[in-house]
Parts: sequence; structure tokens; C-alpha cells
Amino acid sequence: MSKEKIIIKTKNLNLWYDDNHALIDVNLNMQPNKVTALIGPSGCGKSTLIRCFNRMNDVITGCKIKGQVEYHGENIYGPKVDAVEIRKKIGMVFQKPNPFPKSIYENIAYGPRVQGMNNKKKLDKIVEKSLKDAALWEEVKDRLNDSAMGLSGGQQQRLCIARSLAIEPEIILMDEPCSSLDPIATAKIEDLINELKKNYTVIIVTHNMQQAARVSDYTAYMYLGKMIEYGKTKQIFEKPKEDLTEKYITGRFG
Amino acid sequence: MVYKKRKILDFNLSKKYFKENLIRSLLIISAVVGIIVIFSILFFLVRESYPLPTDLSSFLSGLEWKPTSVNPRFGAFPLIVGTLLVTLGAMLFAVPLSIGSAIFISEIATPKIRRIIKPIIELLAGIPSVVYGFFGLIILVDWIHDGFGVPTGETWLAGSIILGIMAIPTITSVAEDAINAVPRHYKEGSLAMGATKWQTISKVVFPSAISGITAAIILGIGRAVGETMAVMMICGNSPIIPEPFWDVFSPIRTLTSTLGIEIGEVPFGSGHYHALFGVAVLLLIITLIVNISAVYILGKIKEKQMALGKSKKKSRISQDLLEKIKKYFKNTILLFLLISFYFVGGLIFVGSIVLIGIFLYYVSKKISQSSIQRISFSIITFSIIIVFCILGLLLGYIILNGMGAIDWEFLTMPHTNLGRQGGVVTALLGTLYLAAGAIAIALPIGVGAAIYLVEYTKEGKFTKIIRTAADLLNGTPSIVFGLFGFAFLTLFLGWGRVLLAGQITLAFMIIPTILRTSEEALKSVPQSIREGSLAVGATRWQTIRRVVLPPASPGIITGAILGIGRAAGETAPIMFIAVTFTAFEPSSLWEPVNALSYHILVLATEIPGPEAKVSAGGAALVLLMLVIGLYIIAIAIRNYYTKKMKW
Repeated sequence: MSKEKIIIKTKNLNLWYDDNHALIDVNLNMQPNKVTALIGPSGCGKSTLIRCFNRMNDVITGCKIKGQVEYHGENIYGPKVDAVEIRKKIGMVFQKPNPFPKSIYENIAYGPRVQGMNNKKKLDKIVEKSLKDAALWEEVKDRLNDSAMGLSGGQQQRLCIARSLAIEPEIILMDEPCSSLDPIATAKIEDLINELKKNYTVIIVTHNMQQAARVSDYTAYMYLGKMIEYGKTKQIFEKPKEDLTEKYITGRFG
Repeated sequence: MVYKKRKILDFNLSKKYFKENLIRSLLIISAVVGIIVIFSILFFLVRESYPLPTDLSSFLSGLEWKPTSVNPRFGAFPLIVGTLLVTLGAMLFAVPLSIGSAIFISEIATPKIRRIIKPIIELLAGIPSVVYGFFGLIILVDWIHDGFGVPTGETWLAGSIILGIMAIPTITSVAEDAINAVPRHYKEGSLAMGATKWQTISKVVFPSAISGITAAIILGIGRAVGETMAVMMICGNSPIIPEPFWDVFSPIRTLTSTLGIEIGEVPFGSGHYHALFGVAVLLLIITLIVNISAVYILGKIKEKQMALGKSKKKSRISQDLLEKIKKYFKNTILLFLLISFYFVGGLIFVGSIVLIGIFLYYVSKKISQSSIQRISFSIITFSIIIVFCILGLLLGYIILNGMGAIDWEFLTMPHTNLGRQGGVVTALLGTLYLAAGAIAIALPIGVGAAIYLVEYTKEGKFTKIIRTAADLLNGTPSIVFGLFGFAFLTLFLGWGRVLLAGQITLAFMIIPTILRTSEEALKSVPQSIREGSLAVGATRWQTIRRVVLPPASPGIITGAILGIGRAAGETAPIMFIAVTFTAFEPSSLWEPVNALSYHILVLATEIPGPEAKVSAGGAALVLLMLVIGLYIIAIAIRNYYTKKMKW
């Protein structure tokens, strides 16, 4: 392990929701084309952390951030940085599927469209490719103009993944993407994550430790807003260095 | 892909977002205009009431209101008493019927019947008050005169009955919402233990909905206190305290009708002028207290429901405001007066309910649960039948009576011979001009301010101020807006009676409604949808325009249509500032117009002769159709989309 390539790096990241100190001195280096899982008990700050990477916390009332998040060496909280441009590079999939109340096609085409793409042929291609990459194409190709609200929960979540792929991001953030899905839909999403890491960097928040063990290359364990331990998934699950991590992983608390 | 090559650093950020920032500033401007409107009204009313021609205590407690006599007296006490008595009477009549109807609609009616009845009740909230007044004047007053053999039918009783009818839709629909909001598992829990349907309703559903029902009654009180036209037309308008005070056949005069009657003739700046503004401030304070308590109670309920979920995004606006208001008025005689009056009224009301309850309790010991259920259901069903009979009578009369007057000429010709002949086209057009102008002014401000509040601001002092002010203005009597327009536009700016003044005043009146309905519509779009859009790199405005506004627009449109309907039906706010009984169309915004509501008022109260009443009937039907038509459209849009939109 000489000099690793680093795509996201946080430096002494601190975050407050009003008076609540939600992230405390988080330092983390993440590598490209890997899956990194963030685990920890509820309220430990993992969702908060993942929302820092594409500045989604900007829209939350009373949120204050100190420290740096570097994306390819540039601080995304710098004064001249455009949050909109960051989100074009760093896509996000949310806890609950949140398709727009539009057709399946329009859901996928939305991202390219808001970036000024209006060429119908190109859009068709993007929609098809994104749906294929999200393993949803076969199920919906005959009803692209139907409302996305009519899809099942698992399909909706894959649609949301396809939607984030359509703008060709470098990183995909997933905030407990399977928490509202049944086991079969969950398995499909996990397969998909394995596929995605060939082309994308994936950061995933999960409550399910088996899931973290199955899909991730690296795992970060967080507790009460602090980064307790970060390392290769295998190492974290087999011989964690920290006592707290071991307790959590073996199910003794959390 | 070209768009992928962009760097995240952009040194021309402000240039790139020129459009975003421009839109944002436009929205800020509309929010600020909204605030200015709201506060200028409050400011102007208070400013004009100073100096009162007498000291405050004799203004509040003086027993004589003789503003134009040689030795003028400005005792508003009889007016306060009149307002409270007529409201009390209305509530005694409206509350049981409304609650019965609400229980019927939400708990007893089959879904099919509910789907029919509910919109009808809501529709009735849209009938213009001048139409109620017209009905009261032509029919009810005569009945009371003949039926009870009193010298005049223009009495407290007539006013209370009409106000009660007017309050029924408001109380019923808010109470019905409250009953509906009781979680289903409460009911299921009770039924599962072998309770009858009636036991479930009376012991589980009703108690859980009680605070919502209270708020409904308070809102009904607010509506009754603020009503001007109907009361002015049928209460006789003598500023006296009934002797004895329960003499329902005494004429009576309210705060609102005093304003309606006297503002038109008062010399600018005279003692009488200031006294009338004092009356308006008094009226405002009463309605503020009434509305704050309703908003407060409804806010509490919302808080409770939110707490069941997980969100902490609740507003404590009303609570804060209540605290403030309390501080200001706690020690004044004023609040004491009001509360003691409501207390007496409430005591009588609660007392009688308790007595009936005790009676029923003893009776119920003797008979089986299923008979009780049958009896209570019959009473409830009976109450909704009464409501429908009353409303059927009212609408039937307006329609049958109006049909006789309406023909092609009536709809297309201006009136002649003081309205006895000819038609209503100038009045109809005037109403349309007024409503169109009002919505053209109010819609951009209201919707813009709502978008700014919901999408751009974080919850804070600023949003609280706007929202509280809008809530308060929402329940402000329309005559108060008229008074503001009169003082500011007509007199202060020296416009005189002009169309534009009417449009602006009506716009002010409907801005709060539009702001709040738009806000609700925007808030009903889940936050997750916005995040989904932002997360694929849409800007804020792109997000609003493409994913927030489309699903919110039915709600916004519904609010706008209701606003138009309200503007078209109003009389009180435009009476002194924009309308005359003219047969000529205006050629510019700087001329007066006629309006249907005003046309009806003049024909019914000032022009002698039976032909005038026939024409008034025709005009009432035209106005009714216009307003009800708008309401039907609004309700249809809302129902269509609530069915369609499921998150």
C-alpha cells in the first residue's frame, strides 16, 4: 500500500444541527471504484456524514459545518464552489424511494434535462442505458410512459438509482437504500451495487451489518458522531481494533 | 458527454446564477409586499382611531351611541353587547346542528352519501352574505313579524337565525375534519371490545376530536362576529341594549353594521370618524382573540399529530403570539369584558348541555344500548335533515324567485328606472372587473410570498411573522378591509370612489387566503422529492418549477378560485370605495363601477316598490350562480387531484 488514490477526504469535519453536535472531528479517506459502508447505531451521524458529501445538508435548517470535505483535492465547502455542480458529480439515492410524480421516462430524463440536454435521441439512449445499468430495463421497457408512482417499492428504488446514473456521476451515495424494501428487492439492489462499483465509487449507509459485510470493500464504524474505526471490511468484521466496534458488530449493543 | 466536463469550481458563480438570483429577489419582493400590506392595515386602523372623541373607558362602557346628535355620544357598549348577543344566538342555533351534521357525515353516512353531502356543505360556505341578507330581509323578517305578532321582524332573532345558517357550513366542515382525523385504530379498538357504534362515537371518537370541534365553533363565532351585510340588512340597527337583555324581538346593532351604515357619511377627521375607527379596532381585537384561540387550538392538535410521527418541524407561532397578546391585554378591562360575556353565554350553553346529558344519562340507564344508538342516530340524522331543509328553502327561494326575473334582457342590458327595469349587465361586469383585478394583484403576491416562505427561507422569526399575520388577517372581518381602503385609498390618497381602489382592497382581503392555501399546497409536496431533484444537480428554481409546482398547482389554483369567489361575493369592503349604483360601465380604473352585491343591497334596502325586489331577486340568483360556479370548479379540481396524488 504505497500511495493510495483518494477521491473523498474529510478533514476535521464537524457539524451541528442547531446546538446538537452531530459530527465530531471526522477524518476519512475514500478510494475510487470501491464500495465503502458506513455503519453504526441509529443517530450516530452516518446519514449526516453521507449528506455532507454532496452538500445535501445545505437544505436543512440550522445546520452548521466546520472543517473540510475534499473531492479530488478540492474543498467542496470552499467559497467559490457551486453545490449544484457537486451534485452532478456525486449522485444520491435516498432511504425511501422518492420518484417524481412523473412518467418513468421523465424521471430518468429529468437530470439530463435540467442540465440543458434536449436532444430526444440522446435522451432516449441515456434513459435506456441508465435503466439497463440499474437492472430495471426489462421490467419497464414497455411502459416507460406510465407513472413511476405505480412501480413497486423495489422497482422505485432501482428507478431512483437509474435516475442518479443518468447524469453520469463519479460517486453514488446511498443512504440506507434497502431500509424500506423486502429481502428479494434488497438482494437485487445488492447485486446492483456489486455491478456499479466497476464504474462508480459507492458510499452506502446501512443498518444491516450482513449487508455491509456482503457489499462493501471498506467499512467505517461511527458512534455518537465520531468515527470510531475505518478499514477494510474484512478486517473490521474479523478483527476490529476498537472495543466499541467489536461490541457493535457482535451485537452486544446498538 | 459535454456536460460532464465541468469543474466544480466556478469563478463566475454570480453571473451563472443571474436568473436564479433574479427569481429569488422577485419572490423576496412579493413576500415583503405581503408583509407591508398586512402591517399597513393594522397600522392605519390604529392610527386613524386616534384621537378618540371620548376617553377610552367611556368609549368602551358608554351606553349611548349618538355620533351625529348636537351633543354627540360615543358609547360603544351597546354595539359590543349587540355583537355578542347576536353571535350567541347564532351559536345556540348553529352549534348543535353543525355538530350533528359533522357526526352524521363522518360516522354514519355511507361513503356514497358522504361524497355528495360534503361538497354541498362546503359549497354553502361560498354563498355571498348579501344573498343571505336578501333572503332574511324578504322572507325571514316577514315570518317573524307575522308569526310572533311583533311590530317589526328586523330583530335580534332574525340576525341570529341568518348568522347561524351562515356559520353552519364553517363549523360543520372544520368539525368534520376533526372527527375524521381521529385515527382509525381508536375506533377499531373500541368496536373490538364489543362497544356499539354509538358508544364508540360518544365515548371514543367525540372526546378525541373535542379540541378540533372547539376550534370549529370558535371559527364559527369568528365568522358571525365579523359578518356585516346580512346583519345590517335584518337586525333593525338600533344601538340599544335589549330590555330585558333576553328579548330576542328587540332590534339590535352590531359593531360591523355600525361601520357599514355610518362610514359612508362621516366627515374626514371628525370625532365621529375617529370613533368609527375605534369601533373597527375593537372589532379587530375581538376577532383577533377569537381567531387566535382557534389557530392556537388547531395548532395544538397538529403538534400532537406530528408528535405521533417523528417530525420536529412544528410551528409554535400561535403559542408565542398568544403569550404576547396575553401580556398586552391581560390587565385591560377590555378582555375582562369580553371574556365575562362569553363566560355567561358559555355557562348557559354548557349548563344546558350538561342538563341534557344528565337527563339522557338517567334515561339511558333504563333502556338498552341498541335503543340508545337508535335514538341518538335519529337525532343526528334529524339535525342534518334540518340543515338541508333550511338550506334547501334558502336556495329554493333564491332560485325560484330569481328565475322569474332572469331573461336575456336582464343579463345583457343595463338597469333603468332605478333598477326597477332593465338588467344587471353593468353590475355583472363590475363584479367581474373587481374580482379579476383583485386576483391579478393578489395571486402574484400571495403565491410568490408562499414560494419564498416554503422554498427559500429556513423557519425563523421572519416566516413566523408573515404566517402569524396572514393567519390573523384571514379571519379579519371584510368590513375592516373596507375601512382600511376607505381611509387609505379613498381619503388619504384622495382617489375617491374608483374601481382600482376596490380591486386593491379586495386583493388585500384575499392575499392571506391565497398565501396560506399556496403554502399548504407547496408543503404537501414531500421534501424527499425536492432532495431527489437537487441530488441530480438541479438548481433550486429548476426544482421548484419542474417538480414542486406541478403537483402543488391544483392546490394553488383551488385557493385562487376560492379567492375569486370570495372577492366576487363581497359587499362590505367595496361599499364606500369603489361602487355606486351606476348604469354605466367604467372606461378606466379611475371610475366607479356597479357590482352585483351592491346592486342587490341597494335594490333590497333603498329602492321602494315591488319591481325593485323582483330585480334584486334576479341579481341575487346571478351572483349566487357566479360564486357557486367558481366554488364548484374549485372543489372539483381539489377532489380530482387528491384522488390522483398519492405519495
